[in-house]
Amino acid sequence: MLEIKNIHKSFGKNEILKGVDLKIEKGDVVVILGPSGSGKTTLLRCINFLERADEGQAIFGNMDVNLKSASRKQIHQIRQKTAFVFQNYNLFNNKTALENVTEGLIIGRKVPKAEANKIGKLALEKVGLSDKINSYPSQLSGGQQQRVGIARAIALNPDIILFDEPTSALDPELVGEVLTVMKSIAKEGTTMLVVTHEMSFAKDVANKVIFMDGGVIVEEDAPEEIFSRPKEERTQQFLKRVIPEDYIYNI
Amino acid sequence: MSVGLDYQFLVKTFFIALSGVPTALIITIVSLLIALPLGFLLALSRINQIPVISQLARVYVSFVRGTPVIVQIFIIFTSVPLLLKPVFEEYHVQTNIYDINPIWYAFIVFSLNTTAILIEVFRSAISTVSKGQLEAAYSVGLNNVQAFRRIIIPQTLVVALPNICTATVNLIKATSLGYALSLREITLRAQVAANVGYNYIEAYIDIFIVYLLLCSLVEYLFKLYEKRLRKYKAVGA
Repeated sequence: MLEIKNIHKSFGKNEILKGVDLKIEKGDVVVILGPSGSGKTTLLRCINFLERADEGQAIFGNMDVNLKSASRKQIHQIRQKTAFVFQNYNLFNNKTALENVTEGLIIGRKVPKAEANKIGKLALEKVGLSDKINSYPSQLSGGQQQRVGIARAIALNPDIILFDEPTSALDPELVGEVLTVMKSIAKEGTTMLVVTHEMSFAKDVANKVIFMDGGVIVEEDAPEEIFSRPKEERTQQFLKRVIPEDYIYNI
Repeated sequence: MSVGLDYQFLVKTFFIALSGVPTALIITIVSLLIALPLGFLLALSRINQIPVISQLARVYVSFVRGTPVIVQIFIIFTSVPLLLKPVFEEYHVQTNIYDINPIWYAFIVFSLNTTAILIEVFRSAISTVSKGQLEAAYSVGLNNVQAFRRIIIPQTLVVALPNICTATVNLIKATSLGYALSLREITLRAQVAANVGYNYIEAYIDIFIVYLLLCSLVEYLFKLYEKRLRKYKAVGA
């Protein structure tokens, strides 16, 4: 459904993405792991044009787009097919939770207000925030804000939802509630591309794990393979550092 | 020994001074109507470092902030006619250069002045709105105009409003300098009335009171507006 070919991106003299290829099928839940600076977030941001790649191609359904020279119209079309969940939630501070969720529908997709509100309320119900629809972000906890962010993404009913370290900015107690929501929408068949450090999510929910380092994909496989039988040295080193010692000795 | 204030004159001149308020207000409103959008756009160009425009804007702000308003008035008042003379002759305009109502010069000077001030006001206000707000707007499918109008500008305004209030009040007070152009605003009207019987103290007290009332009213209105806009912010933020 989505295929990325040979994506390159540099910031000044730093080459962050050194040629990455990626293929995602409908219903996939793909987790990208890797040390910081490996390009995971940049990859995500290039897909929906929050950054402009220096080189590369994206094939989205029947759309074939050059990532460097894409026109405004093409960018807009791709953004219609994707939704983004940010590490820092990025809720619209001057809008209520419901307004946050319906903004993209009403203004971006010209959905009539009544219908948008219906969709929005359903989305907020799905993330467990029906009682907060008229609250402003400043009145919500981090976990609640992120759940609104997820509701905002699912309300758009995109082909794929991109998650950029959705729980990294949360207090540990609040991480669980967000992961629960993500697991439930994954079970419903949502196509997800998730950059995260939450190994439990990768092990329990993902059907494909990608390990990135130094701007390239080092290894990609099913979670069982990656976690118990990593083939590359770099992957093994990373996992050793990230997963508690006793797991490695699990037979 | 009596204080020596002619109270009858005090009251009469108060209303004469008051009659200059519409002029002050027109100048203020016209200047704001021009300066607010222009200041905002130029502030954006500074933040996004758009070549040429952002450097010109920076120089322009320095010029305006570095010179007294009264001098800016004199410069505009003397140079604009000279610049317009060939234009008028070219298009065979009948009006005499020196018959132009001084209020037009006031419009020019105060628009230019206020724009420069608002560039700086908006530059700092916009920078308080995190870039993520714009990115989130793009990612839900809003275009630039929609994102700014619905998300960025409302949040910028809340932060900028106190400074815009200051700029407005300063603008109202600065219109008093229009008396140097023989602009019949608050100060000049009251002074003229005072000239008749040399009741300067009463006239100055009246001018003082009129400005105070006008500026206080404007401050109050701004405060109300700010309260409404701040609705979404956390309590005590």
